Amino acid sequence: MKRHRALLAHALGALVRRRGRNAAVAVGLALVVALFTAVLFLGDALRAEVEAGARHVPDLAVQRLVAGRPALVPTDAARAVAAIPGVRTVTPRVWGYLYAPPISANVTVLGATGREALPPAVVAGRALRPGERGACVLGAALADALGVRVGDEIALAGNAGADAVRVLRVVGTFHDASALRTADLLVTSDTDARALLGVAEGFVTDLAVALSTPDEARVATDKIARLIPGARVVDKQRLRRAYALTLDGRSGLLTAALLPALAALLLLAWDRLTGLSEAERRELGVLKAVGWEVRDVLTARLWESALVAFAGATVGVLVAYVYVFVAQAPGLAGALFGWSALHPPLRLTPQVDAAQTLALVAGVAVPFIAVGLVPAWRAATLDPDRALRGQA
Amino acid sequence: MSPPARAPRLGAAAIAVGAALAAGLAAMLIHARAGRAEADRPAARQARAAIVGLTGSPDLALSSASRWLRHPSLSEPGAAFADAPAMPDTDPAGAAIAAPRALFHGAARERLTVRRAHGAPR
Repeated sequence: MKRHRALLAHALGALVRRRGRNAAVAVGLALVVALFTAVLFLGDALRAEVEAGARHVPDLAVQRLVAGRPALVPTDAARAVAAIPGVRTVTPRVWGYLYAPPISANVTVLGATGREALPPAVVAGRALRPGERGACVLGAALADALGVRVGDEIALAGNAGADAVRVLRVVGTFHDASALRTADLLVTSDTDARALLGVAEGFVTDLAVALSTPDEARVATDKIARLIPGARVVDKQRLRRAYALTLDGRSGLLTAALLPALAALLLLAWDRLTGLSEAERRELGVLKAVGWEVRDVLTARLWESALVAFAGATVGVLVAYVYVFVAQAPGLAGALFGWSALHPPLRLTPQVDAAQTLALVAGVAVPFIAVGLVPAWRAATLDPDRALRGQA
Repeated sequence: MSPPARAPRLGAAAIAVGAALAAGLAAMLIHARAGRAEADRPAARQARAAIVGLTGSPDLALSSASRWLRHPSLSEPGAAFADAPAMPDTDPAGAAIAAPRALFHGAARERLTVRRAHGAPR
């Protein structure tokens, strides 16, 4: 213990003597770790957010495809699906996208007749009243983009053109807390949604199906496929699995793209650690001449590498956390938002725990220390006489 | 500065830096835990359930530029490539969000029957 304390003190002195080189390596390491970790943190948080929502989606969503593109579902199909044994409820849904030229943005229009109720904590103002027409609840980003507040009225031109202009009173806006799901939403009555989207009576966008026994989704899917030509049924269980796989795959891909950066840093560290300066050579020569053994020099050099690695990796993890969960990932968020004019503030719930943090720090520090092992051994086995004379 | 005087100061500085980093990690873990507790409050769970119940999909409103980015779970597999087969998605968000393709694995309800011109099926 005493020996290690002495060697650690020597390593600290060496760190300070070679502060320029060590600081450069620590900053590089922190930067690479921050990039890696930010992708990991962001992927985990998004996965958890989707997973938290996926518990509440209907067991099946029934759509129809014609020529490989989505088509409207006849309302009659809802009655046929409702008659299938095991089907608890069928909710015909009217929803779709409306391009709003004044804000150059796509708005998600949602008809909510029969599903108007929302907890008061979700909206500023109020939710739609049952059967209320000529009113809407807007997502916060959409309300901001339109420059409207609760009580204002907006005139929107529908997909059918000038004939489909609807004047809607804004009765509520979704709070920022739910912006990840509601940023671009315009919730209104089915009638107003039909007018805006150009969905004729007798048709709906899709059907939400609740089953008595969710495990029978496969059977119900087969029956629905036989009932509705061109039906595409999205099953809740499969959707949850697929989402997890997709987000894993994509964040994994981005992480893999960052691997060369880590490899380059380790190579740089190797290069820096291998090349001994004249002063280092003399220092090692003196240490060996006063009786330091190979293992003493080796341990001191490894302590030096470990201090740089753990400090760099820890700073990297902290920077990544602040970048993702405090600064809302500028740059990475831009990649997620793409060309969208409406997007929410990226307020995600951190999924970081102690085990993951430890694994991250150790996962970077251990290879870094290992890279320094051979140069440390070379330095430790220098002949003191040659070292003091400045010979290789 | 003589070496004996410098060593304790260096040690103290190292301990201070180490303690600051450890405190930073501890603060990070506490903050993360508080965030999870906040998201798990009954009111937050109820709000989430109500909104997902209303929208009917778990999709996040990160990008509304294209329907396959806004509603990846409800878009058909070829949505991003509807205008030309295997056309790359031009929106940068297409690299991060897209229709979960794994959703369609094993989704075929009908078997493909092939009648071979010669001999038994291979």
